[in-house]
Amino acid sequence: MERHGDLVQGTLDMLVLKALARGAKHGYGVAEWIHESSNDVLHVEEGALYPALHRLELRGLLSAEWGTSENNRRAKFYSLTAAGRKKLTEEAEYWRRMSGAIARVMQTA
Amino acid sequence: MLPEWMKASWLRVKALFRRKQLDRDLDDELAFHLALREERKCAEGVAAEEARYAARRQFGNAMMMKEACREMWSFVSLETFWRDLRYGTRALAKNPRFTVAAVLAIALGIGVNTGIFSVLNGAALRLLPIPGASQVVSVDQIFHGRSTRNVHGEASLFSYAEYQEFRDHSHVFSGLLAYEPFLKATLGGANPQQLFGAAASCNYFGVLDVRPALGRGFVDTDCSAPGANAVVVLSDELWRKTFGADPTLVGKSVLLNRARFTVIGIAPAGFGGTEPVPSAFWAPVTMQRALEPARDFLGEANVSWLALLGRVQNGVSLAEVRADLGVIAGRIDQQYPGRTTTLAIHPATFLGRPEERGFVLAVGAVILIAVGLVLLIACANVANLLLSRASARQKEIAIRLSIGASRWQLIRQLLTESLLIALLGGAAGSLLAFWSFAAISQFVLTHLPHGFPQLALNMSPDLRVLGFSLGLTLITGIVFGLAPALHATRPDLSTAIKEDSSGYIGKAGSGGFLRSTLVGLQVAVCMILLIAAGLLMRGLYSAQTIDPGFEMASVTQASFDLTSQGYKEESAVAFQRALMDRVAALPGVDGVAEASVTPLSDNHRASPFLLPGQTEERQIEFNDVSPGYFSLLGIPIVRGRDFTQVGARTGAAEMIVTEFTARTLWPGEEAIGKVLREEGRAERVVIGVVRDAQVSHLGETDRVYAYLPAGPKEQARMILLVHSAGGYDGIEKGIRDAARLLDPELVVDVAKLEDNLEVWRTPSRIVATLSGALGALALLLASIGVYGVVSYSVSRRIREIGIRMTLGADGRDVMRLLLRQAMRPVLIGAAVGVGGCAAVSQILSKVLYGIGSHDPIAFLGVPLFLLGIALLASYIPAHRATQVDPVVALRYE
Repeated sequence: MERHGDLVQGTLDMLVLKALARGAKHGYGVAEWIHESSNDVLHVEEGALYPALHRLELRGLLSAEWGTSENNRRAKFYSLTAAGRKKLTEEAEYWRRMSGAIARVMQTA
Repeated sequence: MLPEWMKASWLRVKALFRRKQLDRDLDDELAFHLALREERKCAEGVAAEEARYAARRQFGNAMMMKEACREMWSFVSLETFWRDLRYGTRALAKNPRFTVAAVLAIALGIGVNTGIFSVLNGAALRLLPIPGASQVVSVDQIFHGRSTRNVHGEASLFSYAEYQEFRDHSHVFSGLLAYEPFLKATLGGANPQQLFGAAASCNYFGVLDVRPALGRGFVDTDCSAPGANAVVVLSDELWRKTFGADPTLVGKSVLLNRARFTVIGIAPAGFGGTEPVPSAFWAPVTMQRALEPARDFLGEANVSWLALLGRVQNGVSLAEVRADLGVIAGRIDQQYPGRTTTLAIHPATFLGRPEERGFVLAVGAVILIAVGLVLLIACANVANLLLSRASARQKEIAIRLSIGASRWQLIRQLLTESLLIALLGGAAGSLLAFWSFAAISQFVLTHLPHGFPQLALNMSPDLRVLGFSLGLTLITGIVFGLAPALHATRPDLSTAIKEDSSGYIGKAGSGGFLRSTLVGLQVAVCMILLIAAGLLMRGLYSAQTIDPGFEMASVTQASFDLTSQGYKEESAVAFQRALMDRVAALPGVDGVAEASVTPLSDNHRASPFLLPGQTEERQIEFNDVSPGYFSLLGIPIVRGRDFTQVGARTGAAEMIVTEFTARTLWPGEEAIGKVLREEGRAERVVIGVVRDAQVSHLGETDRVYAYLPAGPKEQARMILLVHSAGGYDGIEKGIRDAARLLDPELVVDVAKLEDNLEVWRTPSRIVATLSGALGALALLLASIGVYGVVSYSVSRRIREIGIRMTLGADGRDVMRLLLRQAMRPVLIGAAVGVGGCAAVSQILSKVLYGIGSHDPIAFLGVPLFLLGIALLASYIPAHRATQVDPVVALRYE
């Protein structure tokens, strides 16, 4: 079965970084943000989101701390580090060039 | 900023100590996510029950997510390794008999290898024992093309002019030194003694960075002019042994080859120069003529006599050194048309010259292969033990495989066990080797026969030896562990689970083929080592009992270095004549003669000779002998006559040849009266033909060999031969006293003529002892292997044996069955081993004396012996099987 909305390999990290660009979020918040900003097109498999968050934390691109959520629960909030912000800029630039190039290729008759 | 991986590692290390906290956090994170999702679904109007399921569905596999995160936060490999290690230790501890046997086998194998390697390391790989040794390189030259050159020592050495050229025009050294190695000198005094020393350039101690413990080293002015500064630095050992560590020795003088030298310093303790034979003294290179009056090397431009060592400047690579010196070598070559020189530049070690390096490496490689074979047997043994054990654990392994353990996990765990065995064995073996080998080789070196120089080699372990034994240990662990591990975890699960552990008729049980192959391999390798040992022992025996074609038993030889003691032609003639007269008058002496080469010594002289009418010169080995030489040694003169005293004294142009020579040079003609011309000399007439004897090489009479009369010119180098009724013991002191009366400061070396055989026997003896010891070790390991395999298969087939005996088979039938199966791999291995040994003996027969490559006793005796041992090793457990009570056997397991 073909499934639409699966993420291109390697783009999940970039999306997670982008989701955190405007401030700290917990895992659920990241998933929801991606879902909503893509107008329900991109479905992040939520089980795969957490390994990505932990991986980025280990690589020093995210920092994490436990806080209290809007409905008073203990939640882990992730935010970008300086290295993460730099990585996001690089990834975004790379993505812009790649998607532009792919789009151009697809437009040529 | 820290690199990413270091930060990640640090986070992981922190997490390692908060394992529980990490698990709780993961659970919390998951619960929080699911709760929010559930609330959201509820808000969208989904029923509570349904919302919870939907949230879980949308999340996916929570277990996998947690596992993935957990692995990320931990050193998975480290933790699984730790787990494997604990499991392996437990498994080994549970079966101590197996563990001890395996560890012991590996310890023996690795111990022998490490020991041999540490000897090789001490002999050829270790850097010189001086400060900053890694910066010091040895320079040697290898000549190509046609050119003539005088050689004093080895061809790769340099002349003084060449040394000066390299020293003054190279840009890569902070200093380049030269020295003449193995300079023999007599230390004068009440008890004159022969020393090895060196004539060194005056920057010698500076470049080596060795400071004399007392007094000073050389300064530049010590080398200002030839023969100008008779100063000497003595070794600490000589200072202690001969001069009783006299603190006032510096400033006093000593006699070296009758020349007076002032002691200016004592070298630090433990420093013996840069050759394996320690130096007792160092004199300035400019004093060469004083030490060796016969030759003036300093003035000769085309002679090899000086070894070169250079200390490379900081930051200069070996390639730059080669390039820089290569230019200079090319410039020197221009003076010698037709000659090209390549330089061999290596970090300086003992035995580093190309000739020596080639020899040491060749011998070392052969020995390492032999001890490697022993290790292989040990590996095969342990592999067999592991296989047996793995079969016993077959069910456990099959069950673990079927409930989901991956094959790789099981192999890894089994390999961890075998590595554990290897490490235990390697550690034990290496410790044993470090402790014993230095002592053993020191013993061998100090008990070499007459005439061998004393060597000083440092065989204590260094990083290279430790690295070698560790590397070998790891390889060993994998070699003996991998096959059993692969075999035990092979994927045909169902048969393994169903298999009745007692096995069935006709097959030696599972793994039988692999086990038989390993036994065959052990037997084959063991056979090679034992036959090699057998051949060498036989060679030794024939060297002991051989009749060389001349008499050795009652002959004593006395040699002395007259040239270095300043003797000229007349004085040498007078000395020799007086000595011969005195010795001839000693009681019991019935023959005195002289020769420049004693028969079967390792000294060979040869010159190009020309037959009249031919243009091609022929290299012919010869000896200068006095009249009476042949009758003293009992070599009959077949035709013609001996030299005469008058002829010898006047230098008559005569020669005597052997029968083989006569046949070869003048086939079908009478040799007497024929002439030969030595290059650059007058023609010589053949006046006699003597019986062939093994005078040059033991066991060989088919060599062209000529005798020339010992004239006045040769007297300084003649060796005295004395035939007496009492032999050496009765005459030794008499000869010494006679020589001392004539010249009290001459060092006289008196020995049995039979000692010459030691030169031929010693290499064979060392190799025979070594391969005999290795063969015995191999035999022990291989018979343990055979025994283990047979007793294992007996224990596995106990029920089958019971059935057979119940059905009427008697003990003999069972015995025959078991022996037939046990001996099959042994016989195949033995055949392979004999074949392999035929190849080995071809090589051995070329390098060692007295080895017949198809010696029937070695080739029949050893296999029979080995098969006997193997039969015994399988008989014992097989016999036990026949004693089994059928009822007990049937109930077994």
